[in-house]
Amino acid sequence: MLGLLWLIPALPAAGFLALVLLNRRLDRTAAAWIGAGSVGLSALVALLVCGSFIVSPPAGDAYHQVLWTWMDVAGFAPNIGFYLDAVSVLWVLVITFVGFLIHLYSTEHMEHDEGFTRFFMYLNLFVASMLVLVLADNLLLLYLGWEGVGLCSYLLISFWQKDPQNVYCGRKAFIVTRVGDTALIAGLFLLFTQVHTLEIQPMLAAAQESFVPGSAVAVAAALLILGGAIGKSAQVPLQTWLPDAMAGPSPVSALIHAATMVTAGVYLIARTNVLFTLAPDARLIVAIVGTVTLLLAGFSALVQHDLKRALAYSTISQIGYMFLALGVSGWEAGVFHFMTHAFFKALLFLAAGVIIEALADEHDIFKMGGLRRELPAVFWTFTIGAAALAALPFVTDGFYSKDLIIATSLGSVDGNLWFYAGAIVGAFVTTLYSFRLVWLVFFGERHTEVSRRPRRRQLVPLWILAVLSVVSGLIWMPPWLAGFHPFETFLDTALPPIEFTGEYAHFAESALGALVTISVVVVGIGIAWLLWMPWRRGTHAFSESPAVRPLAAYWLGGWGFDWVYERVFVIPVKWFARVARNDLVDHVVDGIAWLNVAAWRTLSAGQTGRLRAYVAVAGFGIALVLAVVVLR
Amino acid sequence: MKAGDLLTISPLIALTLTPVVVMLFAAFRRSHGLALGLTLGGLAVTFGTLFVSASRTARVVTPLVTMDAYALFFIGLLTVATALVAVLSWSYLGRLRVRPEEYYVLLLTATLGGAALVAATHFASFFLGLEILSVSLYALIVYPVHRADAVEAAVKYLVLAGATSAFLVFGMALVYAEAGTMSAAGVAKLVAGGLGSQQVVVTVGIVMILVGVGFKLAVVPFHMWTPDVYEGAPAPVTAYVATVSKGAVFALLLRFLLPVSSDQSSTLFLALAAVAVASMVAGNLLALRQDNVKRILAYSSIAHLGYLLVAFLASGERAGVAAGFYLVAYFATTLAAFGVITVLSTGDRDADQLSDYRGLGARRPVLAAVFAVALFSLAGMPLTMGFIGKFVIVTAGAGSALWALVIVLVLTSAIGLYYYTRLIVVMYVRRPEELELAGAGPAARVAAAGGAAGVVVLAALTAFLLVFGVYPSPLLRLVEHAVSTLPWP
Amino acid sequence: MASVSLDHALVLAAILFAIGFAGLLTRRNLIVVLACIEIMLNAGGLAFVAAGARWGQADGQVMFLFVLAMAAAEVAVGLAIAIRFRQSLKSLDVDDADEMKG
Repeated sequence: MLGLLWLIPALPAAGFLALVLLNRRLDRTAAAWIGAGSVGLSALVALLVCGSFIVSPPAGDAYHQVLWTWMDVAGFAPNIGFYLDAVSVLWVLVITFVGFLIHLYSTEHMEHDEGFTRFFMYLNLFVASMLVLVLADNLLLLYLGWEGVGLCSYLLISFWQKDPQNVYCGRKAFIVTRVGDTALIAGLFLLFTQVHTLEIQPMLAAAQESFVPGSAVAVAAALLILGGAIGKSAQVPLQTWLPDAMAGPSPVSALIHAATMVTAGVYLIARTNVLFTLAPDARLIVAIVGTVTLLLAGFSALVQHDLKRALAYSTISQIGYMFLALGVSGWEAGVFHFMTHAFFKALLFLAAGVIIEALADEHDIFKMGGLRRELPAVFWTFTIGAAALAALPFVTDGFYSKDLIIATSLGSVDGNLWFYAGAIVGAFVTTLYSFRLVWLVFFGERHTEVSRRPRRRQLVPLWILAVLSVVSGLIWMPPWLAGFHPFETFLDTALPPIEFTGEYAHFAESALGALVTISVVVVGIGIAWLLWMPWRRGTHAFSESPAVRPLAAYWLGGWGFDWVYERVFVIPVKWFARVARNDLVDHVVDGIAWLNVAAWRTLSAGQTGRLRAYVAVAGFGIALVLAVVVLR
Repeated sequence: MKAGDLLTISPLIALTLTPVVVMLFAAFRRSHGLALGLTLGGLAVTFGTLFVSASRTARVVTPLVTMDAYALFFIGLLTVATALVAVLSWSYLGRLRVRPEEYYVLLLTATLGGAALVAATHFASFFLGLEILSVSLYALIVYPVHRADAVEAAVKYLVLAGATSAFLVFGMALVYAEAGTMSAAGVAKLVAGGLGSQQVVVTVGIVMILVGVGFKLAVVPFHMWTPDVYEGAPAPVTAYVATVSKGAVFALLLRFLLPVSSDQSSTLFLALAAVAVASMVAGNLLALRQDNVKRILAYSSIAHLGYLLVAFLASGERAGVAAGFYLVAYFATTLAAFGVITVLSTGDRDADQLSDYRGLGARRPVLAAVFAVALFSLAGMPLTMGFIGKFVIVTAGAGSALWALVIVLVLTSAIGLYYYTRLIVVMYVRRPEELELAGAGPAARVAAAGGAAGVVVLAALTAFLLVFGVYPSPLLRLVEHAVSTLPWP
Repeated sequence: MASVSLDHALVLAAILFAIGFAGLLTRRNLIVVLACIEIMLNAGGLAFVAAGARWGQADGQVMFLFVLAMAAAEVAVGLAIAIRFRQSLKSLDVDDADEMKG
């Protein structure tokens, strides 16, 4: 059964190829069957393979399948091989299953779009690349998947190409993540020169043996990998692309920019946790990046007008939580939160898609309202998702994973009060903004009429994800509750367990510590209700008041990162620019381009078309060489 | 020469008899289909005789020719390439208002010249092979005699080829004067002894031989004919010139001038390195804003020969494998690219304007996909053979510490990415505003359908490029086996 | 007859070659250009003969025969192309063939 592993990425890839080759001849139904069907089949195979893995784990708790050696040159022989362990099982199941639900949703959501087949083509390619990324047994193949998902992200963000703004957002995403990718490649080079292999498991073993803990090499390698992760996962300072990525269709936001691609960074760090264990400084930076990001993005989410942008900032913030967990050696906690987040965030984005479509492409939450009665199914599922996001105690999966992270941030061997404070404040803010969305969108008076209702293929995924958002947390309950934690046992086969050995470990792990979290969340819901329900006008007036307005605007613009980037890089070339945003980097690139074109003009002028000129040039070259040869 | 030797050189004999047969049949009964059939049959027989020859133990047949694994491999490559060109020419010639039978005769004699070149170990066979190839090409380039472009291209090729052949002859004479022998081994011994200041005559001679070789390879400074001839010649002939002609001469270069490449301090090495750098730079830069697709491919071929020269200079068996593999990839890619142009061409003019490709992705998706894959392979994108080829060359170059050359290779490849991607954009982009950037005008009427045989060939080539881009091992093993018979230092 | 030293013969061949090449660069009439190529080829052939004489082998002269034969073939095709050239461009001026450039 495990031998079917290769089918999991192969099926969506085959779907992609089929859609490419048969593009013109397919009608919508056929394209939908191929597109969604390939991922569905892949999910089925994944279920079989992973089920078999879980029920009867192979020796060493890992399964390695090498298909062939890509090339064998000068001792460098990367394989096309797949590696399955607890971590990749988790990612594979999430990608295929959530991916399938989103494909199903898309067959309805994108129904009237003229690029229907093209959409599924890109989406299939994305799923295939993402699966290659998480299953790859060597870093080169992983990088291939990494690049593949980056490409598909670009293609899908700018899917509605007719509007150049969308294309700009796609380009921005691609270029910002490129910065991270460059760091990652440098990290791969560094690792290769040190351990002479790119295969992940042998490399980690070799690093364990030969790298001195805390040495420059270990820290450098870990930091470079972190660079790549930051780019892909939209963490500070490379987070500016994700809110703009909302220009793409909602299923894209759900799949790529919530559940899967943005978690590639989390996967990468979890995969290479050995390197990070060897580099405590790097770990610290991971935790700091995570904490700063979760706070920054959380506050930004609080003031957004656009529904999807709010969810985007929320995603950035939640991934910040995952990074925080990873940074304090809470590998399993980060991974757990990835899973729960995938469910409820995908749910929220899909629901947002339905809402936006229902209100004829209205994105502004202040123009929504009162949708509770009009779209009841959406109301309930969205609320469940928001509750999970806010970590509503006990009944949502978000509670279990976020509480675990909060506990780890304090109680882990690397934990400290600062991280704990950040996580708690972040939880409070999360609750505020999640329920702000709920109150503003579904309650109060209706500002826009519903013109299109969701249909079954859109609602079924919402319900399934809602159910998952409730029950999936129960597979790892904290020790003070029922102590039912098969998931932790499962993850222990691949990741180091969380060591609650910090100063406040006892407090963090106990029910008392959880009580803090619970009370923060409950208070947060209450305050949110107050602010955006009865005191709605008051809140609005407050945020418009001259004292608060600049702050709100500052948070709205994502703490001004874009503002800073623009000023620092634009001012030297501002007099040069005609395009809205210019970079110093653009200037250098333009300079190179100008140089090339100038060289072209010169050389091209040399091609006069005259035969005698050709002979002359040849003769000149010959004379030159002869002179050098004879005189030397 | 014993009877058994005839079996050893049976591929050459087959290649000699086939054009004769085609010619005789054409004398009695003019039929395009018959000519093509006989051509393909003859080439198939030639391919078969390769195995006959491989089974013979005696390799050296007269001092002129050595049918070792190297020669057999390349003759095989040339034969397959010629067969593909012949199939691609089928519908092209049908649209052209000319008598097609002689075309196939010339194609076959040119291949004979090429085959003689790759098996040559003596100046005589070197010269004869080169000249048979050249003269056949003169006639092939001017085949559509009513087209002014073709005539102009033929004149330029004729004069330059003739002049550089003269250089070749003179150079050979000089080397012979010092060496007393015309065999490759003898020359190698002479060169290996060190080309000091006493050996000015030999060095000058080798430089002049390189002039003749360099022209055929279209490297700087002998490259200026390339865009004009590529543009003016009929598309399948251009495909042939771009692949078989260059490949055969490069294979010969590897065999004859091996000792030159292994001595990194010699002036000749420096000269060749300069040529490589200049070719890579000039080739890639000249293609930057070209609007004629054939000219773009011409300039890109100059650059690719620059890359191959880096492999040549890296020396060593690994470099030989790199060069061999890259040649195969280059053959497949170039045939695919020019094949697309051939299939799209009408009888009046070739489909070489950028505007002919506008929206090809929508009009003829299969051809556009073939072209896109070929262009990606030329650019060296992973998952295509071109990537593996570039990778092995860079590895070989790094292994021989040719850092400057490798860096230039990588940088100029980046430049190349621009114009390859530009072509792909033109094919797939549908909006007029974005097309202004790509520099294309309103679409001309090019062949809207047809050329089925050509399309099949192209699909096969594309599959070849992709399959061996992902799973190159079998081909690498084959090339290793072929290259191992050369006397590496 | 006193034997001619190799160096002298090679110098003569080189001079002939240079003359041919100079003609190639300066003359515009296609027929003359072809003739210059012939001169260059024959200069090479002369060099071959001289080299063969130096070593006392017949190889040089055999090569010269090859060169001659090949030159004849080239000229045959070349003149046919020249005729087409004249028909197409209405002149034999090589510089007129500059339609394709850049």
